[in-house]
Amino acid sequence: MKQRRLLRFHGLKRPRVRQTWNKYNLFNLLRLRTPLLQNKTFFQQKWIGKSMTRGYHGEHIKEYQWERMFSRRPLSTVNMDPAYMARNDGSEQATGRGSGRLLKQRGRPGEKGTEDGSTKRTPYMQMVFAPMERRLDISVFRALFASSARQARQFVLHGAVTVNGKKMTYPGYLLNPGDMFQVDVERVMAATGKPKRGSRDQKALPTTATESAEGEEADAEGAVTEAAEGAEEAVDAAAADAAKEKHMAALKDIKQRAQKFMLVKSAHVRAKQKKSLRKLLQDVKTAMASAQKPSDPSSLSEMNEVERELTALVSQLTINSNQAKKDESARRKQEQEGSSSTTTTNSLGLLTDKQRLVLRWMMRGEAENPHDASKPYATPWKPRDWMSPFAFIPRYLEVNQRICAAVYLRHPVARAGLSEVPTPFSPQLSQLAFNWYLRRG
Amino acid sequence: MPPRIRGGSCQPQLLLNFLEPLPSSSLSPSAALAIPLHRPTASSSSSSSSSSQCSRAFSTTPAPQASRLRRKFKEWCENNAPLFREPNEGGRTNYVSRILKTSDFNDVTPDQPFPNNPHFRSEKVLSERAREKIWETVMEKGMPLKAVSAQYHVDMRRVAAVVRMKQIEKRWERENKPMALPYARAIVDMLPRANLTIHEKPFESINDIHVHSYTTQQLFVPASESREFTRADAAKAFGDRILPPDAKMRIPELVEMEKEIAGGMDPHTARAGFVKRAAQSEHDFAAKQKARLQAAEARRTRVDTGRFEFRFEKFNAEDVGPTGRSRSAVGWRYGMPLMDRKRGAVKIPTSVE
Repeated sequence: MKQRRLLRFHGLKRPRVRQTWNKYNLFNLLRLRTPLLQNKTFFQQKWIGKSMTRGYHGEHIKEYQWERMFSRRPLSTVNMDPAYMARNDGSEQATGRGSGRLLKQRGRPGEKGTEDGSTKRTPYMQMVFAPMERRLDISVFRALFASSARQARQFVLHGAVTVNGKKMTYPGYLLNPGDMFQVDVERVMAATGKPKRGSRDQKALPTTATESAEGEEADAEGAVTEAAEGAEEAVDAAAADAAKEKHMAALKDIKQRAQKFMLVKSAHVRAKQKKSLRKLLQDVKTAMASAQKPSDPSSLSEMNEVERELTALVSQLTINSNQAKKDESARRKQEQEGSSSTTTTNSLGLLTDKQRLVLRWMMRGEAENPHDASKPYATPWKPRDWMSPFAFIPRYLEVNQRICAAVYLRHPVARAGLSEVPTPFSPQLSQLAFNWYLRRG
Repeated sequence: MPPRIRGGSCQPQLLLNFLEPLPSSSLSPSAALAIPLHRPTASSSSSSSSSSQCSRAFSTTPAPQASRLRRKFKEWCENNAPLFREPNEGGRTNYVSRILKTSDFNDVTPDQPFPNNPHFRSEKVLSERAREKIWETVMEKGMPLKAVSAQYHVDMRRVAAVVRMKQIEKRWERENKPMALPYARAIVDMLPRANLTIHEKPFESINDIHVHSYTTQQLFVPASESREFTRADAAKAFGDRILPPDAKMRIPELVEMEKEIAGGMDPHTARAGFVKRAAQSEHDFAAKQKARLQAAEARRTRVDTGRFEFRFEKFNAEDVGPTGRSRSAVGWRYGMPLMDRKRGAVKIPTSVE
């Protein structure tokens, strides 16, 4: 399908709020006001309402397609209180003068959700674009798996989205209640994470030039050791030697720790320590390479030496006060873990308790969110800039972020005072848009 | 929209080129020669990022200035970057209502992502702990979905969805498949969360019933004063096929339980009875489903040839409805074009099994 042009998609002069997590969009959202409509004809008012709302709701969908989807009967629900229903059969609402007794109206079922006693209206007019939310691409965007509706559409077209376990390449597929859609994890991480280039530049800005150069060095090293890792794993699988695997695991562990200090704690590590850390990394690499060879008597002693060196280095590092928070969380985590963690910490006999905890916390964090140069996004993964103001998940979706899957539970509905369609426009404007589409309903 | 490359500070370089051709452009001209600029200083101060390199050294056309709006936008970005660029500290939401207290002459509440729309709120999502809790109660304790839904005030469909996705998550864990753990942590930190503890408000309403469009109209039904006009009578008045709310309840066992409590039964006993009835109804539903599938299987004959499996079912070719256009009719019928591949017809599947 031919797409609409993207010229001035996030313009400032004629601002349009769009379905993206862009900072221009945030600025435009803050500036968004309902325009003055008193001096306009009704047609003009409807036109304004339609054009503003359509700029946000599925602007990539052609108008005739949307017109076919539009429904003039918005869905709504009422919460019925079972306790009320058990005690009344409905005839009490015809008592008095025919519309219920006036003395206490507390128990009316339709008005149960109101806490302040006032009856809230059901905002039907905010439900104009409810059928649009059923589309697969827009649901993927609403589940926070893509940074814009257009990107979500691309995910679907490129075959990264499955519905109920089957690949679905139609962005216009209308989800049925109970459908589960799942997006490729790597795509989601790339779409919602910080981009590689940008984050590197920003990190380099506050630090000095030497530090950033060092960071790059460490990155290059990481890439090399990764390549070594891959080769090593292949050989290991063939050999299946338990002792060697243990060595390799220990070496890998040490390497990761050293890398961690190189990358994360660069602000706190002195230049000399960094130098020795780099040397250590080199040693680990060579040790790993030598351990791959079938006949190698020296690997154990070398490993021990390396481990000793590292523990000595780590014990030199002081823990400053801004890591107290990290300590606490680490301690909590360790308490949960219980006995299993003590064995690993005992192996680092030279560390103090606090240092051990920090090290453990960091190691776990890195295992979950490692530095990996092969990824298309900045690693360790972090949410992209300007994302949090747009982060919400509507109730008609249930999302499991770990596996990047979501279930479309039901169609979006309106209830007293609330509508589930995420629309940035005021009720007046939505009503005008609704009237526009009623014309050809 | 990417920021336009501005040549605000390129003018001195241009002049320099004109006076004396230089081999390299790395020389900072404004530092080397103090040439007065022919433009207001506002633009040159705002375009400090592009000052290191001249993009149009050969052009004599003056570069367009940053517009007033663009300057305002940049200024806004600089002022609000600490607020909105990164997620809020301490795992709280970070919506624009942090800085915008009124919009369109209405108050903006903190849980409102769109300041102009007071009817859309960012509602709580289930936290990781809550999901685990639900999974445990269903899969390990073996509680019926209806009882779990009533216990935690979570919609039955949501309970089922949580369990379904949790099962996949556990399978991935067993298979060592990489999961989006940092993503999950970051996203859940940005959203309002519910842990499903006793002290929290109910997560959502579990007894929602759909408002039928027939029932939204106003009706005048004459009835005698002495008549007990109940919900069932009202439903009948709205239409022949309109169900009363009692028949539409998702968990009718809850009403039964409340009736028992209203009749003077001990709440604990009533609740135990509710759980039993809920389990029974779910068991019945599963049995019904199974019987239906078995009946469908009995009608079918499978012939496995090794490469293909042929499935035969009995159909009556004459059973095509009064107009010959019945949806369930099979086979080619004279004068009845098959629409499935016609131009203009929508070919997007309507459901995925």
